[in-house]
Amino acid sequence: MKGIIFNVLEDLVIKQCGIQGWNEVLSENPEATGIYTASESYPDEELFGLVGSVARKLEMPVAGVVETFGIFLFHQLAERYPMFVEQPENLREFLLSIESVIHIEVRKLYDSPNLPNFTYDESSQDQLVMHYQSPRKLCILAEGLVRGAAEYYNTPITIEHPVCMHQGANHCDLIIRFGNV
Amino acid sequence: MSDTENPFEIAYARERQARLKAEQLLEDKSRELYLKNQKLEESYNRLQQQQAVAMQNEKLATLGTLSAGVAHEINNPLAFVLSNLESLPIYKQALLRLLELNQKYLKDPGVPENYRNEIADLIEKEDLDFIGEDMHGLIDDTIEGIQRVKEIVLNLRSFARTQNCDRVEADLCAGINSTLKLLTSELKTGVTLKLDLQPLPGIVCNPNQLNQVFLNLIMNAKQAVEGRENPTITIKACCDDDAVRIQIADNGCGMPPEVQKEIFVPFYTTKPIGQGTGMGLAIAYGIIKDHGGKISVKSAVDQGTVFVISLPLWGRAEGAETGVAEAVSD
Repeated sequence: MKGIIFNVLEDLVIKQCGIQGWNEVLSENPEATGIYTASESYPDEELFGLVGSVARKLEMPVAGVVETFGIFLFHQLAERYPMFVEQPENLREFLLSIESVIHIEVRKLYDSPNLPNFTYDESSQDQLVMHYQSPRKLCILAEGLVRGAAEYYNTPITIEHPVCMHQGANHCDLIIRFGNV
Repeated sequence: MSDTENPFEIAYARERQARLKAEQLLEDKSRELYLKNQKLEESYNRLQQQQAVAMQNEKLATLGTLSAGVAHEINNPLAFVLSNLESLPIYKQALLRLLELNQKYLKDPGVPENYRNEIADLIEKEDLDFIGEDMHGLIDDTIEGIQRVKEIVLNLRSFARTQNCDRVEADLCAGINSTLKLLTSELKTGVTLKLDLQPLPGIVCNPNQLNQVFLNLIMNAKQAVEGRENPTITIKACCDDDAVRIQIADNGCGMPPEVQKEIFVPFYTTKPIGQGTGMGLAIAYGIIKDHGGKISVKSAVDQGTVFVISLPLWGRAEGAETGVAEAVSD
């Protein structure tokens, strides 16, 4: 996982619990150095360990923390990389640009960034089905990121997640319905 | 948050901003580096292609000079060898008649016996009966061989031609059509011919030479599509501001890159021994070069081959005058 994800988690924890809170999270995970540079890769387990500690600290289920983190992550990334959110005119366009624009640009910057793979079912105007595939199975984070994007584009959505890798499927289906459904 | 912690948190936030800026700078530089690297790779690939084309052209130019020299040197002795050889059948007949007369006198009791014996001994000793029979074959084979040498020298001269004679204004589409008429019987065996010949302005050229180029290329295309499914040869002609372009494409067996590199080299052939001189494309190259044009080839194995000839609209281009023509193999 790239260091930028750890940086944003640090920002979120400091925002919620202060610097002391982040230090406590780090001390609970001795393998985590706390020294993260955006473009470097760090072990996924390190992030999962930190997220587990955050969940215990906030007394929230891990899935809830991951989704909240996803929403926060989107806004942080949008601030750092405004060109990716300024170009698309609406949420649907943005979601479709993840694979065709954003991931291509990310690959230019980083060697083997281990990005998730998205394919789309665009057959309906009212909804978009995103097929998510990643060995990390971070579909909940993806859901959070989509919700963050919906906030950014001021578009109400509902997300259904009927097919999930955590239930044995080889991919996840995120059905995103636009408007007040 | 206590007052004593505040200065550190403020400093932390400041440091964090500084780091974000540093990371942004790093990313910008990485992106720049990526784009520059991409451009560099493109330039490098282009350079390699141009280098290959330049080397090929240099090789062909050297071969052209060499061919012209060799052809010239061989041509003079060839002329008198051929002329002498043409007299030999007549001489042969005379000698054979003498031999026949001797045979007749050998059986004539009126001729003194010692004279007959001497002639019979000589005929036997020198095996003149066999020589008489063998001479026919030897002379015929020699004449055939020397005719082939003459043809090779002619081909070499065509490849290395430097003369700029018999130039007239001609319509290349008419040339293609007349060449196709010549090839009617060759092409009627199941080859689909697609023509897209847009009207072309007349260009100053040697139409006979250009027709030979078309003939060579169409024959090659025809041989390439033999035994293929839906064999098709497509000929297109079009014109832009400065050149006319003739494209001859086939969906035949295609050529691997290593063959494409050599096709314009004299005597290079992929055909079995005795079935191709390896001069067809070398001559085509020489003729197009002489007209200040370019001939290029694109080919993929099992997919087909496309030859594109590009000829300048107004007679010879500057490139041709300085002896620079391009043979491009993609």
